[in-house]
Amino acid sequence: MTDKLTRRYRRLLFAYPGAYRRLRGEELLGALLDAAPSGRTWPTVREAANLIRHGLRARLGRPASRTVVAWTVLTVVISGVFSAAFATRAGWQTARPLPRAAEAQAMLAEILPGQKFIGLQDAPALFVIYGQPLSWNSAQDLLFGDGGEYGQSGIAGGVDAPTLPPQETVALVQHNLRARGWRIYSLKVDGQDTAIVAQRGDTVLRMDVYPPQAAISPPINAGFLRATPFAVYPFGITGGILGALVAFLLFGWASRRTEGRHPALSVVAKMLLGITLFFWWVPTLFAFQWMTRHYQDQPNPSWPPMWEWLGQPTLSLLFLIGCGSALLGLALAAIPRHENEPLSTAAA
Amino acid sequence: MREPTLLILTAMTDGPRHGYGIVQEVRVLSGGQVSLLTGTLYTALDRLTAEGLVEHDHEEQVDGRVRRYYRLTAGGLAALTAETARLRQLTTAVEARLRAVHPRTV
Repeated sequence: MTDKLTRRYRRLLFAYPGAYRRLRGEELLGALLDAAPSGRTWPTVREAANLIRHGLRARLGRPASRTVVAWTVLTVVISGVFSAAFATRAGWQTARPLPRAAEAQAMLAEILPGQKFIGLQDAPALFVIYGQPLSWNSAQDLLFGDGGEYGQSGIAGGVDAPTLPPQETVALVQHNLRARGWRIYSLKVDGQDTAIVAQRGDTVLRMDVYPPQAAISPPINAGFLRATPFAVYPFGITGGILGALVAFLLFGWASRRTEGRHPALSVVAKMLLGITLFFWWVPTLFAFQWMTRHYQDQPNPSWPPMWEWLGQPTLSLLFLIGCGSALLGLALAAIPRHENEPLSTAAA
Repeated sequence: MREPTLLILTAMTDGPRHGYGIVQEVRVLSGGQVSLLTGTLYTALDRLTAEGLVEHDHEEQVDGRVRRYYRLTAGGLAALTAETARLRQLTTAVEARLRAVHPRTV
């Protein structure tokens, strides 16, 4: 009976950091067994939740600190959000390639027959920067101000000389889209421009029709994009959880390792944490606010990719400065203790 | 100072106690109102140790189980005394106010 309970308590004690378990595990176990009524073989749910909660708190070290939990939450949340965003980028890899020029031309001929679309060119990738897939050559553009040029690519063309007036064109397009199974997502008249956004399966169409007096050439533009693939969501959720977990473990490790160290090392570690959180949180909050305002009125059946909500890769330089600061902090935490430096108080 | 902290410190005023001993004493002191779970107790002991209010006294093995005893430090005793005075002052003020409003109830 007691053996089973002991084994189950031991399992729950894994919530505590290893060093803590080695030094205090037997003592905690003794107290738990002393408190357990005879005949009990399972810890109660309340007891289990309590051990996990306090074990996780012990992982942060600094038992007397009233702010370490708040710093952990800030670090874990932003790390989870960025990890989720990067994982969604991996999820986008499951999207089908964009339609080739010939296929796009054929679809446009169905949607707006009798009009010759020109300028359709095969897209080199789903996401491009200045029309090219991402490569090391684009690192400078990404980091130094032109990161906003990185975005979803499409295949688009235009009609130079439409044979139908704009209103008839819009009516015909709507009719043909519905007849061929497209869902018209949005029909928006903005000034002289009539924008039609429709989706069929994983393909999104955007068509803009301008009247002759708008003097826009070509007066009809149409392009295809890929809708967000379903895999983006499980990738994002899994990536977010894993990123948050890794951030929690690393934060706890660094916090315990830098606790009770030389005052200079402790001050530098805290400064590095402050710098990291500043460069991760502040640009992200600004970008999120900007995106919320900017995309409110945009007709779009898919949300913009998650990284764009975080200001990436437009503000990637600031993000990388934060990463550099975080790595320096971890390197500092990895410096071995001198013999005369005390152990973490929680493990002492 | 929160109530569980006050009770944990009070549990050690008459001598060193081990973890489960503190849990039992806190239950008695609170008239059965406060039942500390082991995880909560050890987080509180870690914090009180880091704050210098409590320190390790000695260790025993009973029925193969490790029992580590903790004792109140001079700082812990001072903090407990100060908190008791603060609570007494507060209670006196509340009682005086209640007596003025409802003379028969207090």
